[in-house]
Amino acid sequence: MELFIQFLTNTGFYLADYRNLIMLLVGIVFVYLAIAKEYEPLLLLPIGFGVIIGNIPFFKGFGIGIYEANSVLHYLYFGVTSGLYPSIVFLGLGAMTDFSFLLSNPKLMLLGAAAQMGIFFTLLSAMALGFAPNEASSIAIIGGADGPTSIFLTAKLAPELIGPIAIAAYSYMALIPIIQPPIMKLLTTDKERRIRMADLREVSRKERLIFPVVGVMLCCFLAPASIPLLGPFFFGNLMKESGVVERLAQTARSAIIDTATIFLGFTVGASTQGDVFLNPRSIGIFALGAIAFSIATGSGVLFAKFMNLFLKQKINPLLGASGVSAVPGSAREVHMMGLKTDPTNYLLMHAMACNSSGVIGSAICAGILWSFNM
Amino acid sequence: MAIVGATIVLSGLTILSLIISQLHKIVGLLEKKATVSVEVPQEAEGNPKPSVAADNCPSNIAVTIEIYQPLVEELEEQFQLADLYELAEKYHLPHPHLSIRCLREAGKLESLGDGYFRLAA
Repeated sequence: MELFIQFLTNTGFYLADYRNLIMLLVGIVFVYLAIAKEYEPLLLLPIGFGVIIGNIPFFKGFGIGIYEANSVLHYLYFGVTSGLYPSIVFLGLGAMTDFSFLLSNPKLMLLGAAAQMGIFFTLLSAMALGFAPNEASSIAIIGGADGPTSIFLTAKLAPELIGPIAIAAYSYMALIPIIQPPIMKLLTTDKERRIRMADLREVSRKERLIFPVVGVMLCCFLAPASIPLLGPFFFGNLMKESGVVERLAQTARSAIIDTATIFLGFTVGASTQGDVFLNPRSIGIFALGAIAFSIATGSGVLFAKFMNLFLKQKINPLLGASGVSAVPGSAREVHMMGLKTDPTNYLLMHAMACNSSGVIGSAICAGILWSFNM
Repeated sequence: MAIVGATIVLSGLTILSLIISQLHKIVGLLEKKATVSVEVPQEAEGNPKPSVAADNCPSNIAVTIEIYQPLVEELEEQFQLADLYELAEKYHLPHPHLSIRCLREAGKLESLGDGYFRLAA
């Protein structure tokens, strides 16, 4: 009988804490959104199920939880804390990215830079709210709307905040269809949304081959701390464009990135144990993340309008919203908004150009913020 | 810290965009050199030229496109047919007027209005 009672006291039912129950509910909502609403299922499904796994109560000290040394989850989590998974994701992302759109209209790269302003505004806000510079930098990078970059920087600067920051970054990426359209609509007129972009010129293979080499050198000379992200990114792109290692490029953009995404999402989800995750700081991080993402969207749109003051061939300011690096979610949203205004105005390719520039921009920002806090 | 960071990112990406905006011109220059040094001697050696009848378009328009592609790349993105004709004459291509007309008729030279054209994708 005593053994039975001891067993009962070790079950999850006995050990359950209200914080675990709240997080279990969050996990179930994520899984529901991924399956029923198809909101970024590649992200929300692994994260959601990870949240469920991470919040099943257990007795501590037996090497079960993600924060306990020698547990299986802890080993898998090493890929997050070391910044390994984000680098691998960037390799695959590079092997997927087509820079032709950006090369044919390089002006659009400036929108990718402008959308990073949300990061720096949030940096100031977080520091004003009392976060230490390293924590504020980790929170601010959420404005880049790039999950792997946010995780990478946080792992380096404030590992204790990885859970809330990763969840916030991925949540906002998944919520792009809800967050971005009202901001785009608010900051643009109907006439501006109807602006048609000039046809893109054809980009030669040589240009596409030279770009990753020039890009990695320039960006990494500027911010060497971004090498772990931009190095694999441009390498993946060179593999794709070279055409001589198609098998490797194919593996990078399928099996490798998929494996990293699974473990990244799952372990980040599992790291949100209620007792560690649910605290006022996490709520603050979520609020600041939302502000960062909204400002990033707005600054991109406003910068496009600013550029239009000087350009003969106007830019559709909606494209500024795709300067964040949420690929391809924000580009899709810009395209949809353009179509709603004018069903014959196709902005997708131009928006992808801004999007790919945003990926580079946010990785540079991460490198800069890391070096500022060294 | 924030201002410095924002300035670095903006200037870095501006420089990168400036460089890539010139990339096609650099590539064009390199290819131009290659065209002059390789293609002209080939003609001098009497390599086969596209078989074009005096008043008919060639049966395989792809050959004509292949010949005119490097010429088009030497010109601006949007060009006038007269410029293309001059360049074709410069390289002693046979029947430039007819070839350009055939490219137009085959829809390979796309009109952009105001007398400007570009090679269709």
